[in-house]
Amino acid sequence: MRMDTVIMGGGLSGLTCGIALAKRGQRVAIVASGQSTLLFNGGSMELLGSIDGKAVTAPLEAIATLPQNHPYRKIGDDRIAALADEAKQLLADAGINMEGNAAANHWRITPIGVAKPAWLTLSDHLRIDDLEKLPAKRLALMAIRGYLDHPNSMLAQGLRDLGFDVDVIEFTTDEISSLRRSPTEMRATSLAKRLISDHALQRIADQINELAGDADMALLPSVLGQNNEETVKTLQSMVKVPLRLVATLPPSVAGSRMQASLRHYFMMLGGTYLMGDTAVSGEMEGDKLLKVSTAKLADMPLRADNFVMATGSFISRGLKADYRRVYEPVLDLDVDADSDREQWTQFGVLDQQAYMSYGVATDERLRCLKNGKPVTNLHAIGSILSGHDAIKAGDGTGVSLLTALAVAKDILANK
Amino acid sequence: MQICNLSENNFEQCTKCSICTTVCPVAAVTTDYPGPKQAGPDGERYRLKDPAYYDKMLKLCLNCKRCEVACPSGVHIADIIQKARMQASAGHRAKLRDTVLANTDLVGTMANLVAPIANFTVGLKPTKLVMDSVMAIDKHRTFPAYSRQKFTTWYKRNAAKQQDAFANHVSYFHGCYVNFNFPKLGQDLVKLMNAVGYGVHLLDKEQCCGVALIANGLYKQAKRQAKTNAASIRKSVDIDHRTVLTTSSSCTFNLRDEYPAVLDVDTTDVRDNIMLATRFIYRLVDEREIKLVFKQDYKRRMAYHTACHMQRMGWQLYSIELLRMIPGLDLQLLEQDCCGISGTYGFKKENYENSQAIGSILFKHIADAQVEAVTTDCETCKWQIEMSTGLPVENPISVLADALDVEATRAANGLK
Repeated sequence: MRMDTVIMGGGLSGLTCGIALAKRGQRVAIVASGQSTLLFNGGSMELLGSIDGKAVTAPLEAIATLPQNHPYRKIGDDRIAALADEAKQLLADAGINMEGNAAANHWRITPIGVAKPAWLTLSDHLRIDDLEKLPAKRLALMAIRGYLDHPNSMLAQGLRDLGFDVDVIEFTTDEISSLRRSPTEMRATSLAKRLISDHALQRIADQINELAGDADMALLPSVLGQNNEETVKTLQSMVKVPLRLVATLPPSVAGSRMQASLRHYFMMLGGTYLMGDTAVSGEMEGDKLLKVSTAKLADMPLRADNFVMATGSFISRGLKADYRRVYEPVLDLDVDADSDREQWTQFGVLDQQAYMSYGVATDERLRCLKNGKPVTNLHAIGSILSGHDAIKAGDGTGVSLLTALAVAKDILANK
Repeated sequence: MQICNLSENNFEQCTKCSICTTVCPVAAVTTDYPGPKQAGPDGERYRLKDPAYYDKMLKLCLNCKRCEVACPSGVHIADIIQKARMQASAGHRAKLRDTVLANTDLVGTMANLVAPIANFTVGLKPTKLVMDSVMAIDKHRTFPAYSRQKFTTWYKRNAAKQQDAFANHVSYFHGCYVNFNFPKLGQDLVKLMNAVGYGVHLLDKEQCCGVALIANGLYKQAKRQAKTNAASIRKSVDIDHRTVLTTSSSCTFNLRDEYPAVLDVDTTDVRDNIMLATRFIYRLVDEREIKLVFKQDYKRRMAYHTACHMQRMGWQLYSIELLRMIPGLDLQLLEQDCCGISGTYGFKKENYENSQAIGSILFKHIADAQVEAVTTDCETCKWQIEMSTGLPVENPISVLADALDVEATRAANGLK
């Protein structure tokens, strides 16, 4: 099967790149081994959250101070602002409406009530632009009875520490309490499947309207709108006070929504999405990759002019490690990693972990290196790239979006 | 030094990310089912300790395999559940109802003999009520009509003689549905393959693939039939050098993957030579071995539904790409959602409600697509979608055969 571009990996970066290429008329196939880490995302994108443990307020300015091997620096400091705007527009085109701008971070709230710097946050999720000017004084935190996965007291305390007055109000509805029969299924994504009909939403609205009383804003765990934002909008229209969602523990409804919206958009543009398949090997000719074999297409490999590696980091198996080495399992590309295993990790879980910034080695155009030389038609994007620690720096989703768009441009420019 | 320490228990690969629970169609509609993570890898840990930890609610699993497709860690969640069900059912006799539903070939043979009567009778309201109350087969269901003439009978009378004259040859595992209910699909495949210069042959001995037997707990019988089929397929591949084509995604998945994974009947040596006809034909077109020419005046708007087992095999792109070659076909791709029937599952009274609730998302998408017909590679999806949406559903092979300009195709492939 012949494509213009084959993308290995169907998460945020792979889909973004695929959409950008399909929009320009390319025939694109994405090989996606299972659902992606977007399902762990709480509804925000980060461009750059912190440097050396200090929160970043102006990410565009701060990017210029990053080391040269950071993916943003390879893209070029002067291109970041435009690419960030483009990413925001691409998300909106896919039906993912987010607010925020690249010049100044806002604050998102984690499921345990910690404020973290963010670039974009879903319009229906709680967002604080300025910690000195809170968007509301008195919050009604609507706590779903029996939803054990949601640490309401920690969340409430975190919000109080930020200066809010918080009332924690427990509630339930028939649809919600039906899930309590199956304690393992009382999670955000299961709730979302039962809270779709106007009837189910009205019952929640009735509870909020009755119990949230004179609060300035009601907060609800993000358990609505797995497929689109309409469900949330419907509920917002039924509730008298402003209503915002707060992130839950994974798998997240907001993340599922973003993944589904991007995938749907990609397919609408004519893209081929091979769900549940995995790239297993490739065949090189000189400095080019000719074709890639997948587990399911077996002896009918995918051929293409260009290939993109978007298989993610260790958690997505884009990178693997055994007792001897860190490696890239599909093509055995060059990897930036310490050869001494002792250096990979630090003792404390929360310490800076060296392995977090390991990844495939690329040249200045983000083309993958193999035996020290670039593979001329193979780029890498997203979490598989070396040179950044997504957890410590808060730049994971930004790197995914921006490298995906930069590489799509490179592919289109060098046809 | 130890380099690799993978457990032989596949469930150890589970990282407890819970992503599988987000795609389970059953857990989405009923709280009786514990969900794939709990039913599969989590429960397995306990069952290894003591089989008494088996939860009978596992029978609610559709075996749609969507959990396996979603799993980022390669856990064979549905296989684990199937095996647990199998072990728990050892020594128990299957219900009469399940035996009847599962024996698609035996019941088919009997029904073909009296097809008009059988079709008439099972369509009658009193019969439906008796089946509902005595057999627990839901009264809302319409049984697929039985054909008066089996596919194999048609083939022997009308097609067999001409097949040897072709330069290339394939075998065809037609399955029960084509043989007893819908011979036209088999006839369409013969028409299509003959037009591009391929003779189509039956296997020496074909029995029901057993997918319904496995689902209904008749494992011994399933295993017996699997061995017969494996031997016939081996003869076709190893001795006659004929690839075995299929037109049903679930039969295909069963022959290739469930035989070794669930029934311990090893077909791995011939696995690469068992494939859906759309994959085989796509490859021939892609490698410019054959040409397809379609009718100028063909014009239809259809929606393609990816059956769950089709997605598990990862082969929907072959059917889609072939259909996209038909100039007059306006093809809409549906999001992958489960139709809810899952073979015999939805026929059972206790499952009817869940089955329709599961399918409702897909039915809405089909209604929104505003098409005149739906196309899918699975026959039980076909029954479910036809019953629930009122739209006709056709196999991609039938759509291709219908749109094909046979004379022009024969000429393009150098046939007189």
